[in-house]
Amino acid sequence: MEKAIKKYFPIFVLPTLIAFAIGFIIPFLYGIFLSFCKFTTVTDFQWTGFDNYKRILYVNGVLDTTFLHSLWYTALFAAVCVLVINVVSFTIAMLLTKGIKGTNLFRTVFFMPNLIGGIVLSYIWLMLFNSILQHISKTIVSTQWYAFWGMVIVVCWQQIGYMMIIYIAGIQNIPGELIEAAKIDGAGFWQSLKSVILPMLMPTITICTFLTMSNGFKLFDQNLALTGGNPGKMSQLLALNIYDTMYGTAGWQGVGQAKAVIFFLLVAVIALVQNKLTTSKEVEQ
Amino acid sequence: MKRKLVAGILAAVLTVSLLTGCGSGGGNSNDQGESGDNTNAEEDAGGGTEDNESPDRSEKEDAAANKGRVYLLNFKPETDEAWQELAEIYTSQTGTEVNVLTAADGQYSTTQQAEMAKAQAPTIFNVGNVTAAQTWNEYTLDLRDTFLYDHLTDKSLIIEYDGKVAAVANCYECYGLIYNKKILGDYCTMENAVISSPEEISSFDVLKAVAEDINGRIDEINESFGYELQGAFASPGLDSGSSWRFSGHLANLPLYYEFRDDGCDLVGGEAKIDGAYLDQYKAVWDMYVANSAADPKTLNSGALNAETDFGMEEAVFYQNGDWEYSPLTNEENGYLVSSQDLGMMPIYFGVDDENQGLCVGTENYWAINSKASKEDIDASLKFLEWVITSEEGRDAITNQMGLSATFDTFTGTYESSNPFVQDANALMADGRTSVAWSFNATPNVDDWRADVVSALTAYTDGSGNWDGVVTAFVDGWANQWALAHEGEAESETP
Repeated sequence: MEKAIKKYFPIFVLPTLIAFAIGFIIPFLYGIFLSFCKFTTVTDFQWTGFDNYKRILYVNGVLDTTFLHSLWYTALFAAVCVLVINVVSFTIAMLLTKGIKGTNLFRTVFFMPNLIGGIVLSYIWLMLFNSILQHISKTIVSTQWYAFWGMVIVVCWQQIGYMMIIYIAGIQNIPGELIEAAKIDGAGFWQSLKSVILPMLMPTITICTFLTMSNGFKLFDQNLALTGGNPGKMSQLLALNIYDTMYGTAGWQGVGQAKAVIFFLLVAVIALVQNKLTTSKEVEQ
Repeated sequence: MKRKLVAGILAAVLTVSLLTGCGSGGGNSNDQGESGDNTNAEEDAGGGTEDNESPDRSEKEDAAANKGRVYLLNFKPETDEAWQELAEIYTSQTGTEVNVLTAADGQYSTTQQAEMAKAQAPTIFNVGNVTAAQTWNEYTLDLRDTFLYDHLTDKSLIIEYDGKVAAVANCYECYGLIYNKKILGDYCTMENAVISSPEEISSFDVLKAVAEDINGRIDEINESFGYELQGAFASPGLDSGSSWRFSGHLANLPLYYEFRDDGCDLVGGEAKIDGAYLDQYKAVWDMYVANSAADPKTLNSGALNAETDFGMEEAVFYQNGDWEYSPLTNEENGYLVSSQDLGMMPIYFGVDDENQGLCVGTENYWAINSKASKEDIDASLKFLEWVITSEEGRDAITNQMGLSATFDTFTGTYESSNPFVQDANALMADGRTSVAWSFNATPNVDDWRADVVSALTAYTDGSGNWDGVVTAFVDGWANQWALAHEGEAESETP
């Protein structure tokens, strides 16, 4: 039996592998290749070496700060999102596992924003923000910080419900005996939270921080619909900056591609480090 | 090793795209070919085929044309329906397969880049300006010896790049200051009105005086005539849906006068500008802002709608173009203005007011994909020839799409009925010089405009100053020009 599986596994894997190759591996490698080319359409390219990578920072002989700006702006955005989303959704999850009345209704309501597409959501929020900010003669794109907090609010509102569901599942998985034992030993709420619940929740925390972090770095639709990168390009997150380079500047498709490769490396490294950090804190049950 | 890998990947990608390309296209051309027999009668009835084809143009030739494939990547979303109908008619008449794909508003370059990479790439596409012609230089066919070029009423309505006629304009448009004749006429009857008839507005100073007077006496006007006027000018929104009216269309005037002074190509532009006419630009902008109902601090909120302001008779003046005629008069929109209220005057700029006409030009140029097969190119040229000569084609362009065509085959009933176009023609007949669309020369147009808009927003909401606008305008131009043109020398060598 095992022998047969060993013998025939390539045949069983093949369909998926082909799909994965066509849908992911080939475009990915091809994308890396294109980042070293000058191209108009993806089938029409000219090898230029590291030229595209140089142009990310040096334009017309001067330092171009738009990419660096969106780099730290995005990092800050992702950090704030990770913190806010996880703290809030964990708190809500704790509250909604206490067995209070209407728990299911609350869970549904909190999860609902996740079902709306990012673009629609942002247009609705855009109207809300602007009609409130109007009273102080501002708009959501008056400064980059209005735009920043606007995006944070929208993204949090959208993702808290999702993370909450994951946290609820995690909390429900903690054996009741452990908490009970802690109680008998005289542990208060904070003590059992710190010494029992959080350590037991580490796998969930790993997943949630990873998801919120990568979502924060990759955010695109909300950025496009809510601020469009305004004022100027000051509220462009990395994904929008890449998109803008690709389509906004004539002949710069290659530079956009090069930025995308750097973007990939960055997100990959950060995600790996984060994964390693939180996984190392996980405890055996 | 590395090379092999890359070659392998490319081969794989190409094979895949070829396979998918073949699968979707070409399949149905045979069945449709059968209906191609009655074509000649139909086409000749159109009366426009005045080229030297012999009358016994036989099925043989039609059969040859049937082999080709036409794929038009349309630029104007509002004309999509009319084009789809035209494509169907043409296919049923000739059997040639015609596909029309329309890119969503503002998504043309994105769509184009994706479509052009396909094996079944568009055969006809839009080139908006010289920069686009440069980007797509390897894809544009020289149209000098074609029917399209021969029949242009004005041979300057082309984009020339790299020694070839890269694209031919298919319609022209005009823009200026749309005004409400009824309200302005009523204003003129008031006591102490600055003018006694709308025609007296013939310079920036008069326009400004009228606008300020109207804006100052809104309550009085509303009381005497029963309007619900809110400001002289429609709101000058600086959100992405409206800011191009100022960073593009209004900015055209300082560019145009500067290019004219410098004696360079009016739509080709130059590498460096001085911003010699930016004071006038500022004066016009200040006038728009000061005399509209919108809060100058929140112009970029996206909540403003200038078309509604004007349509609902809440404003007298509205800077926009002849394409606004159909939305303003479309009954579904429920606007109060009617077509006889609509007039358009030049955007008086305080430079050469007595000679300045409307801004006339276009961003709509047809280019033919030179990388398509010979049959496809021939089929595409034939299709466009049919569009500008047949009854169906001309009717669709003039009446359904409401465009002013640029070809001499559009005579008699096919001349534009758009009142704004008639205003433009009247001004031209009056000896005024139409202002060229110099903004077509803008390098990296999206980037340049974004910077200008951002500086203009900061200036208007008080967080910046006018120097910022000048910097974005002048330095931004030189910077983007250098960027957009740096590859030129090397890419021209084969």
